[in-house]
Amino acid sequence: MSQIKNQLAQLNGSAGPLFISYYTAQGEPFPNNVDKLCGPNMTDFPPFHPNGTEKTKLVELYRIVAYLSASLGNVTRDQRILNPNALSLHSKLNATVDIMRGLLSNVLCRLCNKYHVGHVDVTYGPDTSSKDVFQKKKLGCQLLGTYKQVISVVAQAF
Amino acid sequence: MAFSAVLHPAFLLVVLPLKASLSEVLGEPFQLIPEILTVSIQSKLQQVNLQWTVPNLTHQELKMGFQIEISRMNASNIIWVEDYSTTVKRNQVLHWNWKSEIPLECVTHFIRIRAMVDDANYPPQNSWSNWSSWKEVSVQVSVAPNTLLIFPKSKLLEEGSNVTICLLYGQYLYNVSCMLQKEPIHGEQLDSHVSLIKLNNVVFHSHSGTNIYCQAMNATKTPFGTVLFVSKVLEEPKNFSCETQDFKTLKCSWEPGVDTALTWSQQDSQNYTLYESFSGRSELSDHRNSHNWKITEESQETYNFTLTTENNLRKRSVNIIFNLTHRVHLKAPHDVTLETVDAKKANMTWKMHSRGDNYILLCQVELQHETEVIHECNVSVHMSASYLFSDLEPDTEYKARVRCADANHFWKWSDWAQKAFSTPEAAPSQALDVWRQVRSENGSHVVTLFWKPLLKSQANGKIVSYNIVVENQDRPSEAEHYSVQAPALGTQLSLDMCSYKIHITANNSMGVSPESVMALSNDSGHASYRVNKVEAISHLKPRLTLMSLLTELQKNPGIVNPQSPAMKRYTCGQKANGVDMLRSHTLQQCYPSVLAAKEEVHEKRIKGTKDGFHISWEPLSGDALGYVVDWCAHSRDQHCDLKWKNLGPNTTSTNITSDAFKPGVRYNFRIFEKSVQQNAQLLEKQTGYTQELAPLENPKVIINNFTSNSFILSWPGYDSDFQSAFIEGYRVYLKSKEMQCHPKGKRTSLSDNSVLCEYEIKDPEQKSFTVENLQPESLYEFLVTPYTSAGQGPNETFTKVTTPDENSHMLLKIILPMTLCVLLIVIACYWKSQWVKEKCYPDIPNPYKSSILSLIKSKKNPHLIMNVKDCIPDVLEVINKVEGPKTQCIVSGKPHNEDVSIKPPSSVPTEDGSSGPVPFMFFENFTYDQSAFDSGSHGLNPGPLKDTPGQLGLLTPPDKLLNVLEKDYMKSLAESPTEETSLIYVSQLASPMCGDKDSLVTNSPKPVHCSGYKRQMAVPGRLPSLALSESNSLTSMILLGQGEQ
Repeated sequence: MSQIKNQLAQLNGSAGPLFISYYTAQGEPFPNNVDKLCGPNMTDFPPFHPNGTEKTKLVELYRIVAYLSASLGNVTRDQRILNPNALSLHSKLNATVDIMRGLLSNVLCRLCNKYHVGHVDVTYGPDTSSKDVFQKKKLGCQLLGTYKQVISVVAQAF
Repeated sequence: MAFSAVLHPAFLLVVLPLKASLSEVLGEPFQLIPEILTVSIQSKLQQVNLQWTVPNLTHQELKMGFQIEISRMNASNIIWVEDYSTTVKRNQVLHWNWKSEIPLECVTHFIRIRAMVDDANYPPQNSWSNWSSWKEVSVQVSVAPNTLLIFPKSKLLEEGSNVTICLLYGQYLYNVSCMLQKEPIHGEQLDSHVSLIKLNNVVFHSHSGTNIYCQAMNATKTPFGTVLFVSKVLEEPKNFSCETQDFKTLKCSWEPGVDTALTWSQQDSQNYTLYESFSGRSELSDHRNSHNWKITEESQETYNFTLTTENNLRKRSVNIIFNLTHRVHLKAPHDVTLETVDAKKANMTWKMHSRGDNYILLCQVELQHETEVIHECNVSVHMSASYLFSDLEPDTEYKARVRCADANHFWKWSDWAQKAFSTPEAAPSQALDVWRQVRSENGSHVVTLFWKPLLKSQANGKIVSYNIVVENQDRPSEAEHYSVQAPALGTQLSLDMCSYKIHITANNSMGVSPESVMALSNDSGHASYRVNKVEAISHLKPRLTLMSLLTELQKNPGIVNPQSPAMKRYTCGQKANGVDMLRSHTLQQCYPSVLAAKEEVHEKRIKGTKDGFHISWEPLSGDALGYVVDWCAHSRDQHCDLKWKNLGPNTTSTNITSDAFKPGVRYNFRIFEKSVQQNAQLLEKQTGYTQELAPLENPKVIINNFTSNSFILSWPGYDSDFQSAFIEGYRVYLKSKEMQCHPKGKRTSLSDNSVLCEYEIKDPEQKSFTVENLQPESLYEFLVTPYTSAGQGPNETFTKVTTPDENSHMLLKIILPMTLCVLLIVIACYWKSQWVKEKCYPDIPNPYKSSILSLIKSKKNPHLIMNVKDCIPDVLEVINKVEGPKTQCIVSGKPHNEDVSIKPPSSVPTEDGSSGPVPFMFFENFTYDQSAFDSGSHGLNPGPLKDTPGQLGLLTPPDKLLNVLEKDYMKSLAESPTEETSLIYVSQLASPMCGDKDSLVTNSPKPVHCSGYKRQMAVPGRLPSLALSESNSLTSMILLGQGEQ
């Protein structure tokens, strides 16, 4: 469990710089319209109830991390194409995705060992491959804005 | 009927061709109406593709013109009309494209076409055919309520071009504002759901595109946007050229210009393609700026290259045509060798890659020394060549390099091929610049030789050592040789007072430099004098002593006065009697040769500038070989660091500059004239500052002759070398509350009601100042500060001094002897203290000298004082006495302290006594109580010992004490019980036989034969006689001394 907490703290610490790096790399108008373009108003983001039981929280955390891992993978792929020179952003995205993979494994292990939960239904974000470039930029920004907000709540809940 | 049925078609078959034939013949309009097959759209390209045919075309080929109309939103709003001519074949499907400036998703377009025959082979058709029907061109886009669609999406365009952005509003959406990056952009409303924003001359922002985003005022969703990928304009390659080094490969290069690549796979970097027209070969370059083209056809001499660069938006190309032999860029020369012929010559050889000896090459040869090109030359050579460098410097490192080009068709120089080499050493070519410093010491000359290092171009190698040959002018055969190892730049010699010639040379591994010669005359050590007259005293006898020589001179005062301090006499000689007289001083036996009369050279002050000093002088003789100016670079330090400057014979002035010159430092220059004989004679002495500064410190003032009315201030002089400027005088400031300034002084009233007098001493040699007319017992403050042309010394705190009282010196004359006298008396008293003690306050007071005695005597009692010698010891025993003498001189009116006990007895003494110390025991002896004595009682004491007031208070006055004693005594008598009256204390005082009544006996620390006190015993009153008779035998102990019983 301490490992999960550590990973959450690590993600919570890096979420802010990742968010900033992202919207900076997209160019204007993103840095000056973060609240409009990157507001955390994703409707399909998995919910999280910090007052729930540990089991519930772990299940919700698993869903969130699974959702984020998939979405951030898409964002990473898009940014490699769109901003090939934004190496700092790429490294931050890769590091975040790597931690999430580890976290996902640890959460599942915890659920399995302690609560005998071997399977959790997860949801993923919408497919953005057909979206135009601006939409991809915006959705990525919204995702990271939401991630930054949610991860702080999740990190405190554990 | 059947016939008519058959006939009608046959008629038509005949008539129709006829009609057509007639139309042609008669020129009737023949309409070939085009038929639109398809109208397709390419949204990304905003392009409409039209396909049509010309039905009823009877000819195999017919040149036709078409007119196409495009209208927007409705058919009547025609926005585009274009004519299109082509040769139409039968059943051919024709194509035409049109690019819309507005994204086709935003608005519906309509298109129609008509045709006209425009073929020379046929009669002209004067009118267009009818229009085809309108075809609607639209892209079905559904906009959800509260959403906004922006077109085009991810548009690729070139910087500087124009683009129209189209906004499609969903339901309930209004007041949309848009931004391009940070800048707001405005559009025009096309209809209620469409608006257009025209962007002209778009600029490049980023390789990842330019963001456009829009948001409605009432939008509930996040902003909408699109990205424009603005590419930089593809540039034409510059400086395209091709060359060969080996006739096997052509290396073509160019400057590619900006990279037009964009991210998101919108556009890659532009590519470059080389096309050679003669060979017809085309190659895509792997690099942005160069390409290696293989020469496959050796016979091909001329090449025509076209370089084409292309991206998604544009294509550009440049062309060159050249002869291969005119584009030869040779490889750098190889096998470069350098061989030194001697110290000043070196030969360089090299080889070239060439197609044969028939080719003439032009080569450029350069010689560098320390990165500077010192020699450059062009030579025509074949495959191998050589070049001789001459006039080289010995022992010098050089770098030689060579490059070549085709001499017939110069295209480019080859790369350099270079080789470093060093020339060997040669003997030094220049004599040393030498100078000397001479001082006389113990009758000899201490000569310090200095020389400057030779320049590299003069040394011609590494100087190993310096050779010095000291040649006595009078004994040339006895030259002394010295060798000083480099890098020393000086040495010191000790020579006698004779004339010498000193030869100095520098040596390297290859030889010796030309020698530098300095002559040293016998007066060289006297730098403060200038030789005015030199006379050979030939008539003087050889081998004279100095004294005899002086005597001889005294006899010839006309020649020179030997007593003058400005005259010196020098003698030189050879070895006499086997003794080297040169090493001794005074009274040598030698051969006198020269007598020199000298004049002291006065120092002249000069004013320097920040750059240095300008020094000029008057030549002494017309045949001077040259002049030398020397000075110490560090005049304040012990280390002089002598510098000198050699000047030519016709020079009478020079500028001395040095980075070491500092402001506020005095520099002393000496100008010497070098004679033909290499003698250097002091001409002038000049001293000055580059910049004079105010003095840094004030002198330490001493007060002399200090009186009540005056004192003298005196101070030491400054060391001239440590003066920051020439001291022009001193200022003395005197400050006091009440003071009258001397008329020569300058008076200033200060704010604290004091007066400041300023006296200026304009003579820098005056080092004292008398302050007069002072008031006695007054406070004065003074400050002495020097001043220079740059200002005066620091404003330090004034020294305070108070003038003495006028009589104080008289008092001193009296008090001092008196103090001495008193001191002597005290010493004498201390010395005779024992004697004084015995005289003034002995340990055993003499009762006859007691003050009490005087009281008693007044009562005229003849029996007052007992004679100790007559006493017979009685029974009174004293078991202890106070430790140490407690005696005092008895003074009249004072109590006898020993009669007063501090403490009452704490225990009754025992007869056997005690060896240890016991508390002081005191027995009251009323013998001394005059009243008791007078009462006739013989020492009766009826009660026990009690404290009395007299025993408790030492400070009790004597009269009071007496009263108390008397009272107590009387009280004791009254209170004593009847039975106790049988006990009588018998005291020896009771004995009428006591002799000397004039003496009062007190406690004595010394054993006496007859104690003053006897043991008092209580004896029955009825046996007075017995007690009296046995009194002698009852004595148990006599007080023997202090602490003993």
